[in-house]
Amino acid sequence: MLTGRSELTQLSESYRSEMVFTPMRGDGLDLEQLDSYLQAWLATTRPEDIFGGGALLTGLAAQTSNAADLIHLIERRVGAALIATAEDPCFESWLAFMGSCASLSRDHPGTPMINLDIGGGTTNLAFGKNGEVLRTGCLFVGARHVQVEPGTYRIVRLSRYATRLFDDLGIRKGAGDFLVPEEVERILDFYLMLLQAAVAGDPEPSQKPIARLHEHSAFHLPPLAGEAVVTLSGGVGELIYSHLRGQPWPATTTFGDLGIDLARRLAGVSRWADDFRRYVPAGGGRSTVYGLLRHSTQVSGNTVYLPSPDVLPLRNVPIIGSISLASTDEDLCGLLGLLGRSPKGGCLRVKLAADGESAIPKLGTRLAGLLEKNFLPAGRPLILVMEENLGKVLGNYVSGWGRIPCNLVVIDEIKFRNAQFVQIGGLRNHVVPVSFHGMN
Amino acid sequence: MKELPELASIHVPVPPRDEEYIASALGRRVSFRGLKQLLGAADYSKAGDRHAGLAAPSESVREMARSILSGLSLQHIYDHPLTDDDGRVDSVMRVNYQIDGEVFSSIGAMTVGELKNHLLRAGSTDVKRIGRGLTGVMAAAVAKLCDVHELILIARKLSCPTRARTVLGTAGTLSSRLQPNHPTDDLRGITLLVYWGLSLGSGDALIGLNPAVDTVDNVSTLLQHLDKLRRSTGVPTQICVLAHIKTQLACLERGCPVEILFQSLAGTEKTNLSEFDVTVDLLDRGYRTMAAAGALAGQAEQFMYFETGQGSEFTYGKHNGIDMTTTEALCYGLARRYDPFMINNVTGFIGPETHLDDFEMIVSNLQDHFMGKLLGLPMGMAPCYTLHSNIHLEGQQIATELLTAAGANYYMDVSLNTDRMLAYFDTSGNDDQTLREIYGRKPAPEYLEWAIRQGIFAHDTSGAIIRGPHWGDPRRFCDSEAGFRELLEATPAAYGFDAAGPRPANKVSREMLLNQSIAREATRAELRVDDLMNGLIRMTSMRVLDTEAAGKDAYLNSPSLGSRLSQGSLNRLTPEHKQVQVVVSDGLSAEAVHHNLERLLPVLLEGFAGRGVTMGEPLLVRYGRVKLAEPIAEKLETDLIVYLIGERPGGDALASRSLSAYLVYRLTDSLAQMEAAQFSGNPEIRFEYTVISNIYSGGLPPPEAAAVIVEKACEILKQHAAGNRLEALLGN
Repeated sequence: MLTGRSELTQLSESYRSEMVFTPMRGDGLDLEQLDSYLQAWLATTRPEDIFGGGALLTGLAAQTSNAADLIHLIERRVGAALIATAEDPCFESWLAFMGSCASLSRDHPGTPMINLDIGGGTTNLAFGKNGEVLRTGCLFVGARHVQVEPGTYRIVRLSRYATRLFDDLGIRKGAGDFLVPEEVERILDFYLMLLQAAVAGDPEPSQKPIARLHEHSAFHLPPLAGEAVVTLSGGVGELIYSHLRGQPWPATTTFGDLGIDLARRLAGVSRWADDFRRYVPAGGGRSTVYGLLRHSTQVSGNTVYLPSPDVLPLRNVPIIGSISLASTDEDLCGLLGLLGRSPKGGCLRVKLAADGESAIPKLGTRLAGLLEKNFLPAGRPLILVMEENLGKVLGNYVSGWGRIPCNLVVIDEIKFRNAQFVQIGGLRNHVVPVSFHGMN
Repeated sequence: MKELPELASIHVPVPPRDEEYIASALGRRVSFRGLKQLLGAADYSKAGDRHAGLAAPSESVREMARSILSGLSLQHIYDHPLTDDDGRVDSVMRVNYQIDGEVFSSIGAMTVGELKNHLLRAGSTDVKRIGRGLTGVMAAAVAKLCDVHELILIARKLSCPTRARTVLGTAGTLSSRLQPNHPTDDLRGITLLVYWGLSLGSGDALIGLNPAVDTVDNVSTLLQHLDKLRRSTGVPTQICVLAHIKTQLACLERGCPVEILFQSLAGTEKTNLSEFDVTVDLLDRGYRTMAAAGALAGQAEQFMYFETGQGSEFTYGKHNGIDMTTTEALCYGLARRYDPFMINNVTGFIGPETHLDDFEMIVSNLQDHFMGKLLGLPMGMAPCYTLHSNIHLEGQQIATELLTAAGANYYMDVSLNTDRMLAYFDTSGNDDQTLREIYGRKPAPEYLEWAIRQGIFAHDTSGAIIRGPHWGDPRRFCDSEAGFRELLEATPAAYGFDAAGPRPANKVSREMLLNQSIAREATRAELRVDDLMNGLIRMTSMRVLDTEAAGKDAYLNSPSLGSRLSQGSLNRLTPEHKQVQVVVSDGLSAEAVHHNLERLLPVLLEGFAGRGVTMGEPLLVRYGRVKLAEPIAEKLETDLIVYLIGERPGGDALASRSLSAYLVYRLTDSLAQMEAAQFSGNPEIRFEYTVISNIYSGGLPPPEAAAVIVEKACEILKQHAAGNRLEALLGN
């Protein structure tokens, strides 16, 4: 047996479906049509061959009434492999930063960066330094709030946000009407005002009701954030970087929305133009899906403590808190008490810090003592997650070397995220995939 | 595809009784019982043959043996097939008789001495023709009569081009196999090593990876990854993952790109069967499968790849009383049956028990190259060394200079000479380019064309091939600097990419050799028994025992001494009937014990106690080898030995502190013994082994290793099985 660290490496595109616009039925998603897409896309793949994967529901699609049903549909198609789902926009912002400009950020240590991931319905903002995300937010600014006939500005459909914006701007037009250039510019002015205010940390513009309506999650820059470099991702970002590489802009409303117009306006913001040229993320474009896999899904070390592999997968396990050698018995009892009240059990982060491996026997034995006193209902999952490669030995101490009956899993070599839930996939080749969601 | 004659249809004379060969000179008389003894005595003195009692005791005895051998006819050698320990002709020997009968009848009356003279006088065509009529034993006999010049001169007359995607071995070329081994098969590290090698102009023979984990899943992943790298760089070459032949065939069945089929070979059937798990039937099946369904079927003229090297039969104690050079020649006789694309000779890989020093390694390499070429094989050479031998970089470099003069088809490219997985030292891409520049050689033509397009090579004003602007720059294959750094972070022992001409820049060489020297010192370090006992005194006491090795040199040079307890120590042990006995030995790195034991042993003992496993008081044995576990288990009548032992150090100073745990299960239960015999094909099997390696702060931390060992030991005791049989029972 050779031991060593496993990681998700060399992610590559083995299959890419054709791009389709999200099929809608009324105000909801057209699940029947989506299911037939999935069936066709997954035709050449067996669910059991998939180690782990993610599904990302973004922007306006995530706002639909039956958005959760789509996630369940995907779960049914790929089974236990689906270990990362993203339904909260802050997580999406984090992923976009990690997927698009984390490497760039690490290459420029000390330079704060704000990534704008501009898609069809939302702009996900993330502020980070040295490859780490520090703040996230989300605005309903995107290319497809106003859908038009390709090649023209004849309105096909308006989102409810666009309808309200039109009212606010006094544009009395709807499906079938043509927008004149001046109206397009006023819509884009509004979007740019929101984006520039967010990047500048200027709270003033967002006080207006129409601006507040477009704010999904507030984006608060940290104090003394300094002037940040702005990077882009998402479809609009891809258009801008492509243009800067010498590609002509696509023809008027080629994609049937205002994405190209928004891109042109953003490219013209003099304050950001230099950033767009000098700080180009390696991936650009489809950063969020890549980020979901590359940065959200981690692979454990290959010596996890997992006496019964069939307890996995575990989904949506709440993260209860952290423990360390410095935790008092009262702290430990409190956390185990909380965990006992959670039907799905819970996850505790183990911090060894300066104590290192010498903390393992002491901490493990203390926890074992509490478990022996039946602090947890039988079968309730207790998940311990740690960064060090010491999962098996900690698990053995906590379980009294397998003597104490408990549903204990210890997963090591995982970088903990500031999140609310953890998902753990099935065991394969001695490792398990782990993802976090519900970013704080 | 070549026809493969049925084994039974190959005629081999019935072995007669051993003759006595006698010679006398200046009043001295020597005699040798049988051809095996004569062949052994006629060779240069090498450690493996000395340990086997085959080497001549003196130079004069060796020369008298050579005189006798010179006078024997080839027909005599033909009529005296060498037999195994049971007196039978084994399958390897039988395949060696698959020769061109017409050619043999034209030379059978020649003596070995006359054959040597003829080979020196003859032209290339005739030398090549004669080779088709020789068995491996005949080739070995003439090799033993040749000095260094003769080994080079005759081999130089022979070329053996082969063709897959690229053509190897044509005049004026010197190719290389790029070996991007990584200790954990990390795809990023492998990618960097491939890019690095390609940037040095390496890999025209093959991109061939030794996997750290030989499973169908893992090998499939690696094959697909190498295929992806080949396609994305556009390099014209072939790929191979050097897993067991059964694993590769299973990958092929899954549709993986198995382009070249690899297998290690030994020169006796017993070694092939018991240690390498291969038979002639299996090799035949592999050959036929590749011809019909290999990834290069219909395109490649050759598609088999064998690795050999002097001493494996001796190391495994299955040499049948035949010397190392002759068993090596028998490998070639077996390989010849499959018209291979490549042969790679790795003499020097095993250690001082077979080749003690630079001279023994160099001369063996020249013999091997000579014999392989004479028998018609496309010989690639990998003169190499381990740190517990007295072989050094300079000795290896002398070997490559001589072998290039002799016309070796290719060398290895192991980045900065340091194999990151196998803990040995081989030629590098820098070495390969240096040799090309000294001897005016080029890579294979298809590859060269690609490399010129990439700017790795270029034409100078006179049209000669020189290093191009991108030579030695792996970054050019990466999308970005960040991408390159990600690969670099996953690659151990990457001391730098700067070059001075074709050589690594001085600071790179210095760092590499400093690491190597520290690791070499670890092999010489003595176990500090008192310090260990004092450190552990609060946790446990230990019994200290000795092996038959009286000192470090004896221990390193003769593995068998470290595999047996001294009589005094043996007398101290009596049956204890415990489930587990922990044994600690220095192995090949006492430093590994010093750095890990105090962090590992207390957790290990606590774990076994916690699981209710009975244990004897731990044993600490100086100069111990892994095989020592067996006599200890038998004497104590223990079910399982947990043997903690220092690993063979590689080139990284930190990794020279790496410890292994061998879990050695004694098969006492008759049902378990029967099942183990059935599983292994070895009816006499008495022990099964599970290994947990890489235990040190940079790998598996000692306390974590202790928990892994406890869990695995409990599985072994519960399932009454260890090793591959245990993993099969557990469904892994």
